[in-house]
Amino acid sequence: MSVKNVLAVALGIMSAIGGFVDIGDLVFNTQAGAIFGFQLLWVVVIGVVGIIVYSEMCGRVSAVAQRPVFDLVRERTGFGAGLATLAASEVVNLMTCAAEVGGVAICFQLLSGLPYRLLIPLAVLALAVSSWVLPFRWLERVFGYLGLSMLAFAVAAIKLHPDWGHVAHGFVPGSHSGGSLMVYLYFVVGLLGAAMTPYEVYFYSSGAVEDRWGVKELRLNEVTAMIGYALGGFLSFALMIVAGVLFLPRGISPQFLGTPALTAEHALGQVGLLLALVGILFAVGGAAVETSFAGAYNLAQFFGWRWGKKERPAAASRFTLSWLAIFALALLLVMTGYDPVKLTEYSVIFSVVALPLTYLPILLVANDHAYMGANVNGKLANFLGVLYFGLILAIAVAAIPLMLLTHGGQG
Amino acid sequence: MRLSELLNRKVVTESGQELGRVHGVRGELVGGRLRVTGLVAGKLGILERYGVGTQGSGGPRQAKVHGHPVIPWERVVRVGSAVVVRD
Amino acid sequence: MSKVTEVDIALSILDHQLVDGDGENCGKVDDLEITGLDGGSPEVVEIIVGGNAWRFRGRLGRLAARLSGNAVHVPWPEVDSVTSVVTLKRPAAELRLNRGDDRWASLVGKLPGS
Repeated sequence: MSVKNVLAVALGIMSAIGGFVDIGDLVFNTQAGAIFGFQLLWVVVIGVVGIIVYSEMCGRVSAVAQRPVFDLVRERTGFGAGLATLAASEVVNLMTCAAEVGGVAICFQLLSGLPYRLLIPLAVLALAVSSWVLPFRWLERVFGYLGLSMLAFAVAAIKLHPDWGHVAHGFVPGSHSGGSLMVYLYFVVGLLGAAMTPYEVYFYSSGAVEDRWGVKELRLNEVTAMIGYALGGFLSFALMIVAGVLFLPRGISPQFLGTPALTAEHALGQVGLLLALVGILFAVGGAAVETSFAGAYNLAQFFGWRWGKKERPAAASRFTLSWLAIFALALLLVMTGYDPVKLTEYSVIFSVVALPLTYLPILLVANDHAYMGANVNGKLANFLGVLYFGLILAIAVAAIPLMLLTHGGQG
Repeated sequence: MRLSELLNRKVVTESGQELGRVHGVRGELVGGRLRVTGLVAGKLGILERYGVGTQGSGGPRQAKVHGHPVIPWERVVRVGSAVVVRD
Repeated sequence: MSKVTEVDIALSILDHQLVDGDGENCGKVDDLEITGLDGGSPEVVEIIVGGNAWRFRGRLGRLAARLSGNAVHVPWPEVDSVTSVVTLKRPAAELRLNRGDDRWASLVGKLPGS
């Protein structure tokens, strides 16, 4: 592979990571670690494989059909189903965007000491201006690279000397000591939901078209999906491990978004805290941009508008106004002062409920010879795709009952 | 008449036998014109309605009709509140 | 002899992407107007795009239609080819498509760098 290719792969991977660890992963992995220690690590693995499988499909569709998956939903599944998918996606995108914006505001607060309420509009402004000014690839790079600062958590996890034997056990589903079965299952659902968010795969699909992927990029697609999300999973492990080492023995329940960063401080001092906060800021900020764009992509692609960062904002004005409006609505939601951690939990759970509706079109389109030609799903992709779809159906049904039964994981 | 008005309309034979609802309309692209050449009617399951099992409906040459026979337009008697076809 | 291509109109044309002569998106095929249904050779004569095109697409469609302006009727002879997208011969503006983007362009244009 030439230097140029290696660079392209590296860049692609960085961008993929930027989106993987978002506020949902932060909240659920940390809380899971605080209650169950390392016992839910296996769930993260399942979630990572799931999103790799579906992201690879989405990227392949974009590279081969030259159109993103959502663009094909209305013509492939029909008007009614397409509209239902759009509606569900938009609601979930908006909730998630608001949760991410809240996370960014809190990071600003922890870094600056300024009041939270003031920082919310500032956070939205910063995100909107970045999205407006930066070309697509730079947007991916800035948030992706700086989000890598979260690797401080990985360093912290190692420095804290967890019982690696126990950690290894966590990769095998087993006991659930420390909490009731219901709470355990709630976190299984939540962790999977946080790992397999729909906005992620739709953004990836549209992003592939924005990056002008063609059939030549099929290999790049596979590598980006696998390594990018695997590295994100690795970061999730780190979050769960540090919480397991520091919070579980002390009975700390991380109810504040800033709490996870303290684990990095404990292990690495002020530098660790700073790195952790910057990492979270850009990872979550990147996710905020992705959710708002995913929402705009979905609207534009359902109605057939011109879309894309590649267009001049005024030429694709409805698309532009869409993502600006999503930021504006997210701003309003966060300004209500609703607890950002609770907002995050709701956004993840609702995203789980919408998962079947949002993931099924991906499986259908990736199997469609008319769009994919020879590049339709092979046996492995279909086996995994259908297997995960079954899993998605199961957690979609269980999500809200578990949330209600466990009072949002409180037990 | 709009295509969307034609879709989902009941199809009955002259003798009153119900053939289901219109869920497909066959056409022919020739010489820059799009002629309607037939209808496809029948009962559609939930999955088929969502597009599962239609195997390649993303392009004009791949059209599948859910396994229901095409009713050539010559058999259509009239289009009213229902579509009436010859037995 | 002209090439004859068979097609399932509901599956392969309805709800598909419209692309103009310059390759730009200009809406979806929201509906189609068919004439000659009382005769022996009915024909699709128009593509209906945007606005209140969803009048006949169910309850939600009727609601959406009431909130919208008039749809654009694109005569079928404007169609250049039908693949997985429906490609038109002329630019969107000449066919009065993408007016939505034009309408909002002045607002978006007020921001620097648009």
